[in-house]
Amino acid sequence: MFHPDLLQALEQAKAEYDAKVAEILEAHGSPPPGLKTQSGLPFTRCYTPLDVAELDYLRDLGLPGQYPFTRGVHPTGYLTKEWTRRQVVGLGTAEETNQRLKALFREGQTGFSVCGMGYQSYDSDDERTVGQLGRGGVWIDTLADMETLLDGIEMERITLNQIGSSIPVFAMILAVANKRGIPWGQLKGTIQNWMEPGGEGPECRGNAFIDIVEFCIREMPFWNHTSISVRNTRDQGCTAPQEVAFGLYQGGYVVQSLRTRGFDADQVAPRISFFLSAENDLLEEVAKFRAMRRMWARLMRDRHGAKDPRAWKLRYHVQTSALSLTAQQPLVNVIRATVHAMAAALGGAQSMSVNSFDEAFAIPTELSATLSLRTQQVIAEESGVTKVLDPLGGSYCIEALTNQVEATAWSTLKALEAMEPKAAYRAMEEWADDEGYRRQQAIDRGEWPLIGVNRFVSDEGGEAGPSGSLPLFQYDPAWREKQIVRLQRVRRERDPARAEAARETLAEAYRKRENLIPPMVEAVSAYLSIGEIAKVRQEALDEPPFEGPFYFGR
Amino acid sequence: MRRERVKLLLVADTPGHTTGYRIVARGLREGGIEVVLGGHQIPDRIAEMAVQEDVDWVGYRIMDGAPEILVPRLMEALQRRGAASIGVVVGGIVPPATVPLLTALGVRAVFPPGSSLPQIVRTLQSRPEPEAARGVSPETPASP
Repeated sequence: MFHPDLLQALEQAKAEYDAKVAEILEAHGSPPPGLKTQSGLPFTRCYTPLDVAELDYLRDLGLPGQYPFTRGVHPTGYLTKEWTRRQVVGLGTAEETNQRLKALFREGQTGFSVCGMGYQSYDSDDERTVGQLGRGGVWIDTLADMETLLDGIEMERITLNQIGSSIPVFAMILAVANKRGIPWGQLKGTIQNWMEPGGEGPECRGNAFIDIVEFCIREMPFWNHTSISVRNTRDQGCTAPQEVAFGLYQGGYVVQSLRTRGFDADQVAPRISFFLSAENDLLEEVAKFRAMRRMWARLMRDRHGAKDPRAWKLRYHVQTSALSLTAQQPLVNVIRATVHAMAAALGGAQSMSVNSFDEAFAIPTELSATLSLRTQQVIAEESGVTKVLDPLGGSYCIEALTNQVEATAWSTLKALEAMEPKAAYRAMEEWADDEGYRRQQAIDRGEWPLIGVNRFVSDEGGEAGPSGSLPLFQYDPAWREKQIVRLQRVRRERDPARAEAARETLAEAYRKRENLIPPMVEAVSAYLSIGEIAKVRQEALDEPPFEGPFYFGR
Repeated sequence: MRRERVKLLLVADTPGHTTGYRIVARGLREGGIEVVLGGHQIPDRIAEMAVQEDVDWVGYRIMDGAPEILVPRLMEALQRRGAASIGVVVGGIVPPATVPLLTALGVRAVFPPGSSLPQIVRTLQSRPEPEAARGVSPETPASP
């Protein structure tokens, strides 16, 4: 991009500058430190064209909406469509969550994202829900709960994000659409479905992740059938280049796996989306988003042979980091989350959720959740950063960092691709754990600055101190009783013959390893509960019950 | 014969978001403590495992659960099994106002987010002091 004469002259000028800097630092008694980004990438104190001399503008950057999409996937960016304001909601029963959603929509939220739905494989009347139900997300037993959750929400006019990939919950969303007479093909949304190895039969039969993708490709053209959550891996402690590499690896693995069912990259990739983090190191984060866009485009076009430009475009939601928030001096988290959200906006996110300042203590209150929404709105409407597309593009520093993140992520991606998929998935877990542990040690030694924890620590005076007097969201144990009564009523009032028939059809689908979505829609429409459905699965496959994030596949 | 190393059962309330759980497990092991990973369990099962494993400590990670409901159940379940001498520490998402409640129940320490590994390891490197030394009578466990 630069004339060789300029680069040559600059080399001379830069050498003089570096000597001057060394001299000043020496006079200050501090030797030049080895600067590193948060992820440990070597960092220079002043970037020049020399750092991006190899950059080819059209090859590596292009214009917004042009391959390789480093500068954004859309030609007009936020000028025509701002990112979706999508604060995560999930508390109590469907009733409480519905009320919170409506309150946020009144305040300007534009998308739906709910956590807790179908995370467990048992019903509210199980003893495992004591002290748990509704504290870390909404509780859903049956379709009746989903009807309440979506009451008064025009599901065809917004984009719905299902956190977790519970198939019964996904089926409940489709069943509500049925009841409202909305064709599935018109629904827009995302299921946080990410591929994992499994389903040993031919065509990966019995792999629920693939069932979801297959169903959506056939029936729901506007639904993101895959949302790869590397955000939670980042919150486990992995680095920015790892977040990129892990996400790209998993995205590639989805495309590759769907080939077993006869789908090519052009059919699969356009509806893969990503769920990313935004951390403290703003410059590195902006570089991360840009590098990942460029890499995805190259990966899909050159490696996976995608010809449809939609398959080349990396689209992502950002949920800001939780790992970098603190319980100490919790109001400081508002400022941290603003930095994170700013990185997401400068990086060109399609959708955003900003963590609330009180989340180290409880689910956000309406006040703190609204403040998170306001954070997004201030950045979007007051700061001015949305008026320019890729505003940091062309900065020597950002371009150099983008290259660095990319180079590091490619080498991690290559290492993963050299492994068997199951080993690669294990490796991602282990590497993230290693980095998380290193991060904690660096915090403990004070090398990783954390205000309130290892810098500017204040005596907060316990309960009477600033965090003790915060108005926190209060858990209500009565939610459990209310939910159990509701579940019992649903079981009493449903059509027993329809429930029985649906149970049998679903069991048959499990046994034959058919795509589970259609029989699941009937099962939830007959008001079978999630716990009952888990039992159908267990009996049909003759497997012991299992717990945990529950996908209802094999 | 008393074993040399301190032994701890590390458990969680729910399966999700295990960053803290894993980091603490590793820190404790590097600090010379024998750590049994119990995964996510209900309080009664935690007490059962603690007795089976004959541990000195239970480390209870709370995230999605309500500590004011779950921790009393754990303490009661331990007492019911005559295992009140097993020290209990709680870490994770615990609102400040709940901390005094847990300490009153006999929880030896609460580690909120921001606690350092050395601090956690120091607390757990030696066996819990007997209840009597702390001015609490161990004689008669509360009836279930």
